Amino acid sequence: MHPGIIFLGVIVGSVLFHIFTPWWWTDIASNWGAMDDTINLTFWIGGGVFILVCLFMVYCIFMFSYKEGRNVEYKPEDHKLEKILTIATTLGVIALLAPGLIVYNNYINVPKNALQVEVNAWQWGWQYRLPGEDGILGTAQVAKITDDNPFGINLDDPNGKDDILIEDDVLHLKTDRPVKILLRSLDVLHNYYVPQFRAKMDAIPGIITYYWFEPNKIGEYEVLCAEYCGVGHYAMRAKVIVESEGNYENWIKEQETFSDLIAKQENNKLKKTLVAKTND
Amino acid sequence: MSDEYNQKNTPLEAQSSETMSGTSGASSKDIDYVRPAELPEQDLYHGHSFITKWIFCQDAKVIGIQYFLTAVFTGVVGLVLSWLMRLQLGYPDLVPFITAEHYYQFVTMHGMIMVVYFLTALFLGGFGNYLIPLMVGARDMVFPYVNMLSFWMFFIAVCVLMASFFVPGGPTGAGWTLYPPQAILPGTPGSNMGIILMLTSLSLFVIGFTMGGLNYIITILQARTRGMTLMRMPLTIWGIFTATALAMLAFPALLVSCIMMTLDKMLETSFFMPAILQAGEVLDYGGGSPVLFQHLFWFFGHPEVYIVALPAFGIVSDLISVHARKNIFGYRMMVWAIVGIGALSFFVWAHHMYVSGMNPWFGFFFATTTLIIAVPTALKVYNWIITLFRANIRMNTVMLFCLGFIVTFVNGGITGIFLGNVAVDIPLSDTYFVIAHFHMVMGIAPLMVIMGAVYHWFPLVTGRMLSEKLGKWHFWFTFLGAYSIYFPMHYLGFIGVPRRYYEMYDSPYVTSATGMNEFITVAALIVGFSQLIFIYNIVASLSIGKPAGKNPWKANSLEWLTPEVPPAHGNWGEKLPVIYRWPYDFNVPGAKEDYITQTTPPSEVINAEVEKT
Amino acid sequence: MSDNKLNNLPVGFKGMAQDMGSDQTAFKGVQWGKVMMWIFLLSDTFVFSCFLISYMKGRASTVVDWPNTSEVFSLHVGSVPVPLLLIAIMTFVLITSSGTMALAVKYGYEKNRKMCGWLILATAIGGLTFVGMQVFEWSKLIHEGVRPWENPFGAKQFGSFFFMITGFHGTHVTIGVIFLFIYSRKVFRGDFDKGKRGFFTTMKSDYVAIEILGLYWHFVDLVWVFIFAFFYLW
Repeated sequence: MHPGIIFLGVIVGSVLFHIFTPWWWTDIASNWGAMDDTINLTFWIGGGVFILVCLFMVYCIFMFSYKEGRNVEYKPEDHKLEKILTIATTLGVIALLAPGLIVYNNYINVPKNALQVEVNAWQWGWQYRLPGEDGILGTAQVAKITDDNPFGINLDDPNGKDDILIEDDVLHLKTDRPVKILLRSLDVLHNYYVPQFRAKMDAIPGIITYYWFEPNKIGEYEVLCAEYCGVGHYAMRAKVIVESEGNYENWIKEQETFSDLIAKQENNKLKKTLVAKTND
Repeated sequence: MSDEYNQKNTPLEAQSSETMSGTSGASSKDIDYVRPAELPEQDLYHGHSFITKWIFCQDAKVIGIQYFLTAVFTGVVGLVLSWLMRLQLGYPDLVPFITAEHYYQFVTMHGMIMVVYFLTALFLGGFGNYLIPLMVGARDMVFPYVNMLSFWMFFIAVCVLMASFFVPGGPTGAGWTLYPPQAILPGTPGSNMGIILMLTSLSLFVIGFTMGGLNYIITILQARTRGMTLMRMPLTIWGIFTATALAMLAFPALLVSCIMMTLDKMLETSFFMPAILQAGEVLDYGGGSPVLFQHLFWFFGHPEVYIVALPAFGIVSDLISVHARKNIFGYRMMVWAIVGIGALSFFVWAHHMYVSGMNPWFGFFFATTTLIIAVPTALKVYNWIITLFRANIRMNTVMLFCLGFIVTFVNGGITGIFLGNVAVDIPLSDTYFVIAHFHMVMGIAPLMVIMGAVYHWFPLVTGRMLSEKLGKWHFWFTFLGAYSIYFPMHYLGFIGVPRRYYEMYDSPYVTSATGMNEFITVAALIVGFSQLIFIYNIVASLSIGKPAGKNPWKANSLEWLTPEVPPAHGNWGEKLPVIYRWPYDFNVPGAKEDYITQTTPPSEVINAEVEKT
Repeated sequence: MSDNKLNNLPVGFKGMAQDMGSDQTAFKGVQWGKVMMWIFLLSDTFVFSCFLISYMKGRASTVVDWPNTSEVFSLHVGSVPVPLLLIAIMTFVLITSSGTMALAVKYGYEKNRKMCGWLILATAIGGLTFVGMQVFEWSKLIHEGVRPWENPFGAKQFGSFFFMITGFHGTHVTIGVIFLFIYSRKVFRGDFDKGKRGFFTTMKSDYVAIEILGLYWHFVDLVWVFIFAFFYLW
């Protein structure tokens, strides 16, 4: 069989695979459809180039296979052709870069009404902190983390007192409200990734990173850690529940704030001293 | 101060190549004029004992084969590790020995071995050492002793790396990118001796390759034969030369990052280590920056992938040209593209860091530079296929591998455009899309070139031809198999499967990929085992292969024109060759044969309408 | 390049274009060993640049105050603290040794073995003095509690970067000193005059080797100037 047929088969097969593939994006559940659109544009342009280049190659191997005495073109350079190809490629590159950078610009500029959610990552789980009624997260440090202060919140910072602490790994979000995820890591690099939201960013110990998105589909989504963090990396999962405003408010009411936690601990300490005193 | 080394001070006017090819008005009896020799003959050390002839040999050809064999050995180790990884991913409960710790150790060692110890060593040390002196017309590298040391440094680096398999805790499982802080913390396998040995091995590798790289660059710059201008060198040399220049400037960043991480581990410094909570306790580290490591690593890491790719670009240009019996289209553009890609490669590193938490504004800059680098790369692709147009293509094994390179490289290059565009990279980074991309463009495509190059130059190195029949079977298994592994893998990335996952676990949509994972595993094992055809071909042909004679492919470049085949020590016998043209005079109108070698003087092909080069 | 375009270039560029376009060598009249040393030094420059840039990054983003270098690096003369006295002396010694090296190269080409040999020896001793003073500085700081992992004066990274960068530089100086001693012996023995074959490399000795070593030595000196500026003076 002529090799050209097999190469042609590879190209046709690739295109068919792409058209009929059962493995495609998860249904998007956030505002970042523009990323999907940019990917589609890249498929058209890039895929087009791939197909054209490979088809031309196949054409050549069919038409110009070795024949004794074949008339071969001797033309080391063709400036006009090279110029056209350079310009066409540059235009293609600009056509991809321009929309991509516009989308990226939106990605790094967080809307002013975004709700701040701090995600803490540690080997190998997640916990969350919301700013509470004053809308400001209290400052926190890894060095201040103790059993009594699992988030390491600065005790002197008044803004931290009403912070809502969520120690299990299920985060609830209100639908159709932009969310700014602030990432803090307590030990190594992690990444809070929900494929349906498309957005992601690494959590780096020592700094606070961020990204934003607006969930717009009610449902339950799995969180996957997307930056290698040791042997538990693949098992570091969490859940995000996107729900209506009413359900969200109900959930918030049930959560504990930092001052609640402090009060509970004082209470326990008081009980212990009382018990000790009565036992004397 | 006077430099008394060069006694002959030739006047500037005679130095331009323009004035010697006979087209600027010189009289006809000067058409064969080539400038006289500037340098005295190189004085080579000839070994006489077994040790000085085969072990501590200073002949670049022997050193090249030593590099080749050592690199291939590490590549086989890397290949076996990939089978173990795929067994776990395709059939998770089949092999209980592959725990999560072991899996991550396999992932790390596979990656580091393949990128650094296999591909880089093979292209620069293997092909570079063998071909550079031959193709530029030198007798050997300029500093053979240091060249010999460079190989043994590489060998020791490989030994140190392999030793890490046998230390307590095993080899490091930090991922080939070795990101801190996890690389040196207990949550990662091999975070004691394993990582130390890895960092030591890399440092030794850098030192060894600096020594080798100096030889390659200086031999190309200062030791060419008469008539060999830079623009008459085969593209293979341009590719290896530029790659070596990149290595000289990029490896320092790797060395520095290895030293700093070693100190972080051994002396508890905090270069990369911020405040860390481990098992409920705050560690003694503090104030360091993990992102600093990433900047240093990728300042090395991105040029590194071009160090692998550029020699492949150069070699494939020569393979296509010889076997399509046509000059490479746009040679000057090809040279500028190689140099341009090399230079630009220093300005794109942070496209590996779009989601690293670095200053977001850097994303604009690096996305732009990354997509700019696509332009010269695309031009090279166009030039390869235009070379095939109206050519006279021999559909032998070498050409098949070149065609396989074009298909896989364009595929991998396009997916690189996806990832270079920062907004598109955000959902795709750290997923299987990235794995599919870099395997296609750095694993398969350069591997196609390596295999094609072996089929092409085996007759020169051994004096025998490899079997065409076995070669074709080898090609189709490898190309179709590898393509079926990595093309569908991109789609795993689209559904969001992250990389470096030991198990897919419970995710509903991720487990839908089980069938695909099984398929990829089976394909990988088939491709792996089909390399036995290649090994058999090589071993058998050494004794029963058809004798090749001189220049069996009817090529033009110098390496085929030595008086003895295989070339002896000193390459050229009594007299160094004299060069009159570039190596791409194939099917020149008016010439008798369909090729004109570089050493053919113009007076012998007076009727050929050659282009002035 | 066509003849027309070539002739219209300004003189320096014309020469460079002709050299690059010519056969055999790209750098006319320059022995390969010198070009090799230049390229090695370029690579080594990148190593030290990576160290210094990492240091600047670490210092710029320090969460704890950086120690005051004038205080940490001062010597007491009697009871008066003189800031940066030791490194001022070290810098003077190293720069002087570069001067003696340059002279040694000149005398080498003039085949004046005695002057050349003694000047190389002087350079070696200058280098050795430098290393000795560096060792003294290290021991003084270690005595005061400065460690790679912490120090009593401020940010942890101060000690880490200090020991790492000066250690690397000191190692380079030491290697240079060893070669200088070897070369001074070769000069006195007349190896460069006779073209005696090297013990390891088996290549014929030539006075250009002294110039090449000189290039290395000047590089080591230049790196010190940068370290001095960025680490001690900033």
